[in-house]
Amino acid sequence: MLVLVLSGCATRGVKNPDGVPVTQMGADERGFVAGTGIESQDLVAVTDRMTRSILGIPEIARAQVAPRVVLDPVVNDTRFPINKDIFTDRIRIELNRNAMGRVRFLARDRMATLERERELKQTGQVTASADPNVTEFRGADYFLTGKLSGMTTRTSAGTSDYVLYSFQLIDARTSEIVWEDAAEIKKAGARGRGVSVKPRHAAGEPALT
Amino acid sequence: MKTRAQRGGAFGERGRPARPRLLACGCAMVLLGGCFSAPRVPSIAHTGDPVIDGNAQLAAARPEDRVLWNYRIAAAAMRVGNFEEAKAKLDDAILTMGGIITNSAEAARARSLFSAERSKVFIGEPYERVMAYFYRGILYWRDGQPDNARACFRTAQFIDGDAEKQSYRSDYVLLDYLDGFASAKLGADGREAYRRAVENGKGRPLPPYDREANVLVFAEFGEGPRKYSSGEYGEQLRFAVSNSRVHAAVLTVGGQTVTLPAYDDLNYQAATRGGRLMDHILGNKAVFKSTTSAVGDVAAVGSIVAASRMNRWDGTRSEGSQNTALALGAVALISKIASAATTPEADTRTWQNLPQRLGFAALRLAPGEYPARVEFLDAAGERIAGSARELTVVVRDPAADTVIFLSELKR
Repeated sequence: MLVLVLSGCATRGVKNPDGVPVTQMGADERGFVAGTGIESQDLVAVTDRMTRSILGIPEIARAQVAPRVVLDPVVNDTRFPINKDIFTDRIRIELNRNAMGRVRFLARDRMATLERERELKQTGQVTASADPNVTEFRGADYFLTGKLSGMTTRTSAGTSDYVLYSFQLIDARTSEIVWEDAAEIKKAGARGRGVSVKPRHAAGEPALT
Repeated sequence: MKTRAQRGGAFGERGRPARPRLLACGCAMVLLGGCFSAPRVPSIAHTGDPVIDGNAQLAAARPEDRVLWNYRIAAAAMRVGNFEEAKAKLDDAILTMGGIITNSAEAARARSLFSAERSKVFIGEPYERVMAYFYRGILYWRDGQPDNARACFRTAQFIDGDAEKQSYRSDYVLLDYLDGFASAKLGADGREAYRRAVENGKGRPLPPYDREANVLVFAEFGEGPRKYSSGEYGEQLRFAVSNSRVHAAVLTVGGQTVTLPAYDDLNYQAATRGGRLMDHILGNKAVFKSTTSAVGDVAAVGSIVAASRMNRWDGTRSEGSQNTALALGAVALISKIASAATTPEADTRTWQNLPQRLGFAALRLAPGEYPARVEFLDAAGERIAGSARELTVVVRDPAADTVIFLSELKR
């Protein structure tokens, strides 16, 4: 009784943290901290799928000369703010890893640094292995870009978020879309419960997992 | 044969009816006593800089209050032009609120009878979460990412969908307007969002989207809502609002005079949020506290009466009265302890440096540096004396949007 009485009046003292353990997980695993938004496992699943899809198209697989590709940041048309570069970065990395030189990417996001280096060479401030006055910056054969589109449904039971991840490879000379693919993931979060996920590849193909 | 009382009292002293009297005393103490513990407020050495002081408060704060301090620091940082700090704090806050935390241990504890609502991780009321996303959206746009800004405005409007009444759900004018404006700037169709904004505006005129506008001006005026608790046990969450004198701003820059009317009012948004699930829980806690207290009172009085009737007129003791006094005393004690330990107080932690009104305007300016002047207007559209401020607007890249953030608030 006495303990109970006193415990009712106890003030909050110095709190000893519980020592929450850290769990190391794979980027493609669904963590225990999950929302209905865009998460690493979605990124990995989608970019893996897109990489495999791109490598199979004739413009890449049967190209005599490795095509030059420029990455254009994806457009985010969802309700989730994201790091947009991470999608194209991962596709680039996976393509470079798996394409065995069949595709080359141009570092357009580094142009300021590259131009500065060229200027240094042109003014003789640094050495050059080739004539620095000849423009050797390559033009793009293709642009790889994408769009994330979202749709949200809310009811008293909870929230569901559907995200369509679409990617395109565009011929820089003709503006033709030479390849396009998409994946879609739907997540539902019930109020006071967890999140269920239903990932699908577009056009009724097997689920993304 | 000796009675139990004659063999010895409850606490061992032979011949005295110690147990009932002590229990009765205990009941009286419980009746009179109150258990109160104030929440711990971090104590820091104040420097006068809201960002430095806020960070010191954050470092000393409970983990459950981290988001609250992030909010406050972010707003203060926005006003002093420390946008990187604001970004970091908002990202941290959004990270916390973005997860599904309804099943967190803190939330479960807050729902229990004997833990206060303030023991759960603070993420704020919908209008507070909306503002976190609104500010982050401004910062994304400032960083040349109107699509991520749009995502923030959409999520903010989504959060406002929590309002109890349909007519108050997702009814921010500016969030839909900016959603559509970002879409228009990105070459997409912003008409549906614009239509929603007009609908939410309820007759308030909204300028059509100018895709060529490259200077976006966000303005905020007045002091936002504050929380307080009312009800017998402080179980009802209420909002204290003061209507700011400032209703609009006027920006004069590059030979143009642009009015920034207030499109949204956070006082209105806070007041129209309606009931929360937590309100029902707190209401039930209050009922439980009240009931157990009443039961304790009745049992305590009964125990005292029974104890007073233990000694018969002939000098013998009534074992029945003694047992009744003991039983009622125990009931009184347990009920009062349960009542005292029940914490129905509403969580009044407040993002206290929010504005009341939000304004916006977009204009075209060629690259260059422009002296500018902002003045604030009252409800009649008259300039408020002494409200003028000078600033410099710098437009660097005509292809990218220049975002200006104006606040009437100092910190």
